[in-house]
This record gives sequence, structure tokens and C-alpha cells, in this order.
Amino acid sequence: MLIVSLLVIFAAALIAALFGLPALNRRLSITRLSWLLAGAPLVAFILLASRVPQANAGNVYTWQWEWLPSLGLSLGFYIDDLSLFFGLLITFIGTLVVVYTGQYFKGDQGTWRFLTYLLLFMVSMLGIVMAGDVLTLFIFWEGTSILSFLLVAYKTSSKSARSGAFRALLITGGGGIALLVGVLFLSYVVGGTDYATILNSGDVLRSSEFYTVILILIALGAFTKSAQFPFHFWLPGAMSAPTPASAYLHSATMVKAGIYLLARLNPALGFTESWFWLLTITGGITMLTGAYQGLKQNDQKALLAYSTISQLGVLVMLIGQDIAIAYKALVVGILAHALYKSALFLMAGIVDHETGTRDMRRLGGLAKVMPFTFVAGFLAALSMAGLPPMFGFLAKETLLATAVHPTLPPIAAELIRWSAVLAGALMLAQAGFLIYETFLGKPKDPDVHGHEAPVPMWLAPAIPAALSIILAIIPGPKEEAELLSGAAQAAYGETVKVSFVLFHGLTVELLLSIVAISLGILIFVFRHRVRAWQNRVLPNLSLNDVYRWMLQAIDRGAEWATRLQQGKLRIYLMTMIAATVLLVAGLVITQAPLFSYQFSSADSQLNSSLPLLRLLSLGVILGAAAATVVLKRDFSAILALGALGLAVALLYVLEPAPDVALVQIVVDILSLVILVLALIRLPRSQRRKAQDLTSDSRGSSRTALIWNGIIAGTLGLLVAAITLFALLNRPRESLVSPYYANNAKIETGATDIVGAIVVDFRALDTLIEIVVFSLAGLGIYTLLYHAARKHGDQTPAEDARERQGLAQEGLAQGPPLPTRGVGGARASPFIRVTAFVALPLSMILAATHIMYGHDQPGDGFTAGVIISLSVGLWYIVFGYEETRRRLPWLKASNFIGAGILLAVLTGVTAAFVTGSILGNVDFTESWAYMPSGFHISTSFLIEIAICLAVLGGAIHMLNTLGHPGEVEA
Amino acid sequence: MTLLVALTVGLLFAIGIFQMLQRNVIRSLIGLMILANAVNLFLLSTGAYEGLEAAYTTADQPSSDPLPQALILTAIVISMGGTAFILAMLIIISARYKTADMDEVDRLKK
Repeated sequence: MLIVSLLVIFAAALIAALFGLPALNRRLSITRLSWLLAGAPLVAFILLASRVPQANAGNVYTWQWEWLPSLGLSLGFYIDDLSLFFGLLITFIGTLVVVYTGQYFKGDQGTWRFLTYLLLFMVSMLGIVMAGDVLTLFIFWEGTSILSFLLVAYKTSSKSARSGAFRALLITGGGGIALLVGVLFLSYVVGGTDYATILNSGDVLRSSEFYTVILILIALGAFTKSAQFPFHFWLPGAMSAPTPASAYLHSATMVKAGIYLLARLNPALGFTESWFWLLTITGGITMLTGAYQGLKQNDQKALLAYSTISQLGVLVMLIGQDIAIAYKALVVGILAHALYKSALFLMAGIVDHETGTRDMRRLGGLAKVMPFTFVAGFLAALSMAGLPPMFGFLAKETLLATAVHPTLPPIAAELIRWSAVLAGALMLAQAGFLIYETFLGKPKDPDVHGHEAPVPMWLAPAIPAALSIILAIIPGPKEEAELLSGAAQAAYGETVKVSFVLFHGLTVELLLSIVAISLGILIFVFRHRVRAWQNRVLPNLSLNDVYRWMLQAIDRGAEWATRLQQGKLRIYLMTMIAATVLLVAGLVITQAPLFSYQFSSADSQLNSSLPLLRLLSLGVILGAAAATVVLKRDFSAILALGALGLAVALLYVLEPAPDVALVQIVVDILSLVILVLALIRLPRSQRRKAQDLTSDSRGSSRTALIWNGIIAGTLGLLVAAITLFALLNRPRESLVSPYYANNAKIETGATDIVGAIVVDFRALDTLIEIVVFSLAGLGIYTLLYHAARKHGDQTPAEDARERQGLAQEGLAQGPPLPTRGVGGARASPFIRVTAFVALPLSMILAATHIMYGHDQPGDGFTAGVIISLSVGLWYIVFGYEETRRRLPWLKASNFIGAGILLAVLTGVTAAFVTGSILGNVDFTESWAYMPSGFHISTSFLIEIAICLAVLGGAIHMLNTLGHPGEVEA
Repeated sequence: MTLLVALTVGLLFAIGIFQMLQRNVIRSLIGLMILANAVNLFLLSTGAYEGLEAAYTTADQPSSDPLPQALILTAIVISMGGTAFILAMLIIISARYKTADMDEVDRLKK
């Protein structure tokens, strides 16, 4: 039921947003729209008020929604007297502000934006006070931050508005993050996020080890929101917001969010030494700072901002106390402040709207012209000053009563007492200053003219101002006192009596009040001298400078950090590798028990088969690797790489792993061929220059080489250590391989287990593998033929042709120049015959591999590569032109497509038959006249598919890289 | 033997990374291929069994572990595909930047 109040206001926000549409915008003027929309907070107010009697009786309205039960997170609402108290304030002043907005922005049809933000803000604020757990609270908390940003920066063209909004968002947002962390700690310690759990776990919290952390974090959240010292400087800067927004946010609602939070959590977190000192000291300093700074201001709104800061300091200070009367002072103070501050802000807005200025050095004597506004402002100012019989006097009295309470520790008592008196005096002086300079005396600037505002507009401040006196004098319904006392009770945890008696008799606090009032009048009378003195002492001390300095430092730090971005790939690579080495080395040294490794002689023995041959192959591997470093010519380095690959293949053979060795050999040779082809396509001049760089050992390049060496060496050492450790501790019992070994014959009819794994058990892996390979081939083709042309990259051959003027003869993109293979047009017939014969022979060999892949080393992949190797031989012997002419059927893309299509179809068929994709189906199981060991099964079809796809990919690679048109003439 | 294999893998890594940090793009690519070989060698030696015979169902002596071998197969193929593609990119770089020196490929910063 109560949530309906939230929804009503949300609906109003939506309606306001809809008025952004030009069709609707034309129909209603902003003033009428705001009258309409003001109904929403009014309805909410009535709804909340109707709930008061029940809440006073102690019924708390809760509603929960299990969001993540597994984590114990739920969202919900918890509405008791404290929530209702704040809620009533929010909706009441909200109604006034919405009406006021209609008058303030009269004529500006674009105000629907402002109204939307305002109403959404109202929703968020109500959400904060009605939230039932800390998560909901946080969500709405952040909502208020964002919406206040939008409201303060409403005049987007004004730089001061933007920077003020940003500053507010930064500070309150930072506090919000602290709040989130604090709240998470809180719910961790307490074991839940909802208020019921938290409020009952006060003792657990207070004795927990995280108490200080939680306290500081939550206090940060509250202090940033409620503009406590040293976070207070965002509030005066936010005065660039339109006055209706300031009146709502910065006087009555948003800044009270922190107060609400502290009050709500007081039963759980409060009543400890740290709580007392933290809140008292912060609150006290804020109180004095606000009061002092306020008097210096010339801008009406700035003065009001500082006095708000001061009053917020008072409220924070009161929450820090642990005596009942402090909480009476708290609720009375909140009410009084909300009433008079909103009235004053609205009044300032009227003055600004009607005269065009807020500067009190130019205003004066407006009482004659704006009588009603003057009366409203005067009453509110009396309340602010704390003069009887206003409600504000009651608030000040109760404050001072707290200050003289006998249970306060003595030092604190004296400090609080006298600082409260001083602050009270300054507030009176400020109030008088504000009213006198604006309304009384002689007009200071002849250009400033004003006239009275329309009735609804001055009614908005008049109502709270009138309430300030009415509430104090006329005793209201008993629900009112009960509401306030219930709210105070929720904050304090025990009974608080609230009564509105103005005169208690001659008490210490009355005397202190008189002292404060007299001092205040004195300061007011001598205001000009006091202000001049203020401007001489510490004129330029401002936390704004600290804030600006911090932002600049962040910028400079970021700039320094980006110095790492040199734009050179090698530096990035070096940095990445160095960082990896450091991190992993650190981890390995501190964690892994490497140093406890004892070399057992068994590990270093070569007790496997053919030990000498293994040693030889290891030696060749290392020698070839060293050769790639040392050899000067790139071509020689590539040959050394080939040797390395073959030596690794030898190691595979000795494992023994014949399938892998076969694949390694053919792939090694193919990559050798491709590397050389690509090498030829790089222009000789570039290659020579790069080669010289490699062998250059002068000065700076020598240091670079040494650094490279160090990084690489460290990494190698690290890898060797990790590898050794991993290999020594590897499991000697495989869980998966026995399954494959036992089921290979049964399920797939294969004797070669590795072949069975590749083509049957893990056929999907193989399918993806050939897709990747084909994509590589297609990618090369696309890249070098199409993309390069599109980007206008000129290959060196084209450059050369252009220079020679052949471009005009239409040969630029034309067919390649006729080429011959090795040995020219009259190549030795021996090699030609060999090449001719090699192709069909390789196809037969490939067919063998495909057919017998299951029983012998070799599979579809080796088949495809072998065929492409023989095609490569054709390119070398016959040249590009003749090969293309003689092998017109060798269209690589078609092969790729056919291969993958066949594989997919086979897989789908097998899925229908056996229930798993790429399962094994033997089509010719019962055929008696097949060659021994050969079956036409899905494995066979997949081998064919692999062969086709791989052949296509490899042919693309050879074709594209071997295209002679791109070779430098 | 394990010690020697570990040392070889580490040394190959060192040489591979050293080559990758070179300015000559071809050497860089060679370094990458050396790294791929080193990793395949490591994979091979993680087999659970010291085999005297190849992994066939008709084997009568203890055979080597077939699972890492299948993984190496896939790895070899894919790294070859990757190498070929990198070569094509090197050619494009050579055409666009008119250089085979890695340090002159610096348009990332601008």
C-alpha cells in the first residue's frame, strides 16, 4: 500500500517525460502541467500520513522480494516512524517545489526535463528512507547522486554548472562507493542485508574486528552526502542549479540522506567511543566552518548553502551523542531546518527571478515592492536565527539542552557548549544579514528593479515559514508528537519524549540562548567590520584548490603511465614477457617447493630406448636453434629451422609416436616451402636492411640485444624449472588413455589408437582444426588479392612497373608475366619427368593414407599435405603459368568447400544413425569383398574430407604466395 | 632424460623469445615457430607411459600414451595455419610500410 506512493510519483515522472513529445508539449503550459504533477507528491503525502497512527503504535511495514536466495540477498522496504517522518517531509516540500517550478519556469516549455528529473529524484529519495535493506538503500542512494547531477547541470551550457555538478557527483559518488564496501562488510559480519537482522545485531557489530572499517566507510558515505568537513565544498558549488532544485535538494532532502543513514544505523553501530568522537568532532568542525564561511558570502544562495552545512554539522553531532534529549533535538532540528531552509531558498529564488540578481551587494529595500515575499522570508529567517517563538528557537534550545547535559564527558561538554553558542550567534547574524541586505535599507544598485511574484509563487515559501511559527505555538494533533518521538526512538533505540513546550523555565540552556542571541545581534550590528576582518584573515583558503590539485595530479599520473605506449610492437612484447617472467618467477619462488627437489639419479639417466639417438636429436635441435640466431642470411636461418623441425620429428619417432612424426615432417617441409616463397616476395632492399640489423652489434642495438638476451634467458630458465617440476610430478596413470586403448578396436575398428582418437573419438576437434586451416588458406588468398588492392597498398612489383611506365600500357593489374620454373624454359628432362610422375604417385600415396589411416601411421591430413607438396614441386619445376594451365581442376576454394561439406554431412548422418555427431558407422561391415582392413565407414569419409579441405588450404597458400606477378622484376 | 628434455624446452623457449624480439620480421617469425616446436616437445613428454612400442591395439609391449600425441597433431596443424597467415600479413606490412624492420611499424601510436 505504501509502495503505491512511490509508484504514483514514478508515474508522474513518466508523464513529465512524455511531455517531451512536441505533440503533448503544445497542449499544456508548464504552469498547468506542474499543477497537475504536484498532485502526485500530494497523494503520496496523504498516503504516508494515513499510515502514521499505525506506525506510532509500533507497527513496522515491511515488504521483501527474494532476489538471490542462494546468496541471501533480498530487496525490500521497511517503513517505521523514522521513514514516515522523512517521507512526509520529502513529499510535503516536494509538492511545494513542483508548484513553484511551474511558476519559476513560466514560459519555458522545455521544463518537462526538469520536472522529470525532480520527480525521479523524489522517487529515489523516498526509496532511501523507505528501503528495507542496505542494498535497496544503496540503489536509491546512487539514484539520488545521479539525479542531483542532472539537476545541478540543468543549464548545460554553463561551465560553472557542469563543473559544479561534476564535483558533486565525484564526491558523493566516491562516498557511495565507500558506502557500498562498508555495507558489504556490515552484511558479512551480521549475516544478512535486511534491517531486521542488522538492527538486532548491534552487539555483534560493535565487538567485531571490522567495526572500525565499517564505521569509517559508512561514515564516509554519509559525510560526503551530507556535506561534512572536509567534503563540504561541493555544496556551495552546486548552487548553480536552478533554485527550485536547490530548495529541494540542498536544503530539505538530499543532504539529509546522510543524516537518515546515520540515524537509521545508530542502534547497530552507535554508542561506542569511536562513534561518539568521530561524529562529534566532524559535526562540530562542520558546524563552525559553515557558520563562519556563511557570513563572508555575497551570493544569497551561497550564504544559505553554508548555513545548511552548519546545520548539518549540528545534526551529525547530535547523532553522535548517547542521551535521549539529543535525539529529540535531532528530530526537532531536522523539521525546523527543512521548513525554514526551504522557505529561504524559495524566497531567494523569487528575488532572483524578479530582480535578476542574487548578489546582496546590489540588492536592498525590496520590502516595499515584495511585501509577501518579505514576510515569508522574515519569518523563515527568524526561525533560522533561533528566535522565539519560532520553531527554530525550539530546535536551538533543545540543542543547547543537549550541550549542557551532565553525562557528557567534560572536555567535550565545554567544547560543544561554546561552539554551539558561537555557531548559533553566527547563524543569527547570517539570517539578519540576508534579510536586511535584501529587503531593508536603501537599494544599492539603481539598475535593480523588482516586483512582487505571483501568488502561487510566494505561497510556496510562505507555507513552510508559517508552519515554523504555527507548529511551535499551536499544539498539533498528538500523532504529530508521537511521530516525532517514534522517529527519535528508532534512531536512539530507547524511549524519547518529544514535547513542544517553548518555555521550560529559567534553565542553563535558556541563559546560553540569550548569550547566543545577544552575541548574534552584536555581530549583526557590526557586520561590515566583521566581514572585512574575515576577508583579511585567511582569504584564500579553499578546499576547492585541493580538489583541483587532486584532479590535476590524476591527469598527470595517467599521462606518465601512458608513456609505456611507445607505438612499437617490440617494446610491448618485451614488457609483456618481462612482466610475465617477474610474476611467474615470484609465484614459483614463494609457492612451489622447487628447492626441495632432489636430483635422483634415476631421472637423469637415459633409461629409455635408443638413448644415444635421442641425445643426438636433442643436440641437433639445440644446434639448429642456435644456428637460426647466429646465421646472417635469412635464407640460411630458414633452412636451419627446417632442420630443427626434422630433428623434432626424429624425437617423435623415438617416442615412439609415428603418426605425429609423419605429420611433423610433412608440415615442416610445407612450412619451409611457404617461408621461402614469402621471403622472395619481400623486396631485396628491405630484406638486406633488416638482415643488417640482425647482425648489427653497434652501440644502442647491442644494448637492445643484451636486454633481449636477458629477458629471454630468464624466461627460458623459468620455463625449464617449471617444466622439470611438472614432468617429475606428472601422473603416471592415465585415466583416459586406457579407455581409448580398449575401445578403439570395438567401436571404430581401428588398430592405430592415435588415428582413432583423431578421426573418431575426437572428430569434432579435427573438424574444427581443418576449418581453421582452410580459413588460414582463404585468409591469405583474400588478404593478398583483395584487401591489399582495396587499401591501395602497392606491392613492390607494382611500384616497379609504375616507375617503368608499364602502368599506362594496362599491365598494372593484368595477368602475370610468363614465368619459367627452375632451370628456365629448357629445364632438364630428368627433373620434368620426376615432377610429372610425382603428382599421381603422391595421389596414390595419399589414397593409401586415407584408406589405411586406421591401421597405419598417416591420415587424411598427411594425405592432403603430400599432394600439395607435389603440386609445390610442380610450381618450382614448371613455373606458375604452366602449372595453372596443366591443373585446371585444382581450384582450391572448391576443394575446401567440398571437404568441409562432406565432413558435416557425414557427421549429421552418423548423428542420425548412432545418436552422436561424428560417431562411427561402418557401412560395409558385412561386405565380404573389401580389401582386408578396409571398410567404407564414416571414418573413411571424414579422412577424405580432411584431405580435401587441407589440400584446398595448402594450395591457396602456395598459389597466393607463389604468384610471380608480385615478385620484384 | 627428463632433465635433458626440460632443459631443451627451456633453451628453445629462450631462443624462441629472443628471436621474437628481433627487429627483422622474418627472424621474428622463425622465433615463433621455434616456440611452437618447443611446446609440442613439452606436450610429448607429458605422456604417462614410457613406451617401447607405438600405440596400437596389437602391441604386446608397453606402449606410449596416445592422448598427448593426438593433441600434438592438432597443435602442429593449427600452428602451421597460423604461421602461413602471419606470412601473408608480413607481406602486406612490407608493401604498406616499405620495410622489413619491426620498429618502423609504428602507426599504432598515431
